[in-house]
Amino acid sequence: MTDESAGKRRKKQDGKATAQPAREEPSLPPHLELQRTHVVAGADINANTMSADAANMFMALGIDNSWSYEKFLKGFQLRINKMDKENATLEFDIIGIDASIANALRRILISEVPTMAIEHVFFVNNTSIIADEMLAHRLGLVPLQVDPNLFEWKQGEDVASERNTIVMGLNIACRREGTKMINTDVLSSELKWLPEGSELPDETLCRFVSSQAEILPNGMAPTVDNILLARLRPGQCIHLEAHCIKGQGREHAKWSPVATAWYRLNPEVVLLQEVGGDAAEDLAAELPGLIVVQDGKACVTDPRAHDILLEKVRRLSSEERWAPYIQLRKRKDHFIFTVESTGILPPEVLLQRALDIMIHKCQELLKDV
Amino acid sequence: MNAPDRYEKFVVPEHLLKVEVRKDTKVADAATFVIQREDHTVGNLVRMQLLEDKDIMFAGYKIPHPLQYQLLIKVQTNGSKTPQRAVQSAIGSLEEELRDIREKFLADVARFGSGEESMLA
Repeated sequence: MTDESAGKRRKKQDGKATAQPAREEPSLPPHLELQRTHVVAGADINANTMSADAANMFMALGIDNSWSYEKFLKGFQLRINKMDKENATLEFDIIGIDASIANALRRILISEVPTMAIEHVFFVNNTSIIADEMLAHRLGLVPLQVDPNLFEWKQGEDVASERNTIVMGLNIACRREGTKMINTDVLSSELKWLPEGSELPDETLCRFVSSQAEILPNGMAPTVDNILLARLRPGQCIHLEAHCIKGQGREHAKWSPVATAWYRLNPEVVLLQEVGGDAAEDLAAELPGLIVVQDGKACVTDPRAHDILLEKVRRLSSEERWAPYIQLRKRKDHFIFTVESTGILPPEVLLQRALDIMIHKCQELLKDV
Repeated sequence: MNAPDRYEKFVVPEHLLKVEVRKDTKVADAATFVIQREDHTVGNLVRMQLLEDKDIMFAGYKIPHPLQYQLLIKVQTNGSKTPQRAVQSAIGSLEEELRDIREKFLADVARFGSGEESMLA
């Protein structure tokens, strides 16, 4: 009997719990909702830029602003807009996340996704005018076409081996042939992979037990073969060995896998009240394409297709004539995210690795908290 | 010259824990979490997630010194759970959220048709 009644009571409570989201629906008054969801662009300052994220922010109004997985699932969307293989660029819209997540993703892409880059350069000979340390620095910045996951980290006192080091050689001399000069430009294509390891093991302390050809069956080379590293005159030469190791962008920017990774908020152009007659024509003339006149009234088309006009909208929205009519807003939880890879890994792979790193961070923290 | 080694930025020294919990001696239900070798990436993320929890009275983070590679997160709850539990659930929710983002991203990459799908695992 008691069990049964308890069960009933629980059921009732369950019923209440499921009914609750419906009760939450009475949402914020429009002016607060605008503050919560949008940044309003003003002439010289943006309003409502902070994100409204404290759970009890709107408690006085009886509105629960706390986070729940269900709410997140309802609001979350991801849409890829552009995937440009040639330029290794990816653009996507990500909707329904907090700025801190978008920013963490951006920071991890720039500074924590590992790549391989030249770290130690051993000069055998350098009679060119570029100083050893300058050339070594330039070499470090050359992106190398290798998947870093195939290699181990080399930290502190670790010995260089075929599992953590890639060796490349560069040996070039400039000479005159008749009236022509050969090898005046030293390009990244001159960097040649040495799968058997260092040719100067006594100096570099790098000895391979086996050839690297097994790890890298397709070989390796710089992603782009026309990067100018140095220039020579007849009689000058450069002979060096470059050792590449795995690293992260936060140690040195040469390990950053992206040229840039950035996001911006989704712009919205809003007509605050109806614009008709001459004013509509004038506004359409001020913002060609973005504002069109339909049935004598001004209408907004797609702001994303008219990016260059958005700053003009901002200016107009502060002018006496247009201020009551037009406003530029940005959605706070809608990010247009762009990743430009250096070409080492495709941007979609980078993003996936960045998310894996972030998930791994969460797990590491959970272990110790 | 006297700069710390570059690896100091991300290698947690053996005598330190990744996360150390220091209970606040003066305020009830408050604690400071000292996280080694993390920066604004994690600090801001965890702080934002904590603020979205109903039971949190205060959450904030700081990096006391740029050459001491540690992060402090201060948390005060309303007493219905300990700061540890609050941080655990915040990180747990973040992980859940990130897994979902990852899944949706991979699905959309597949929809968009990628030539290098073999690299996506």
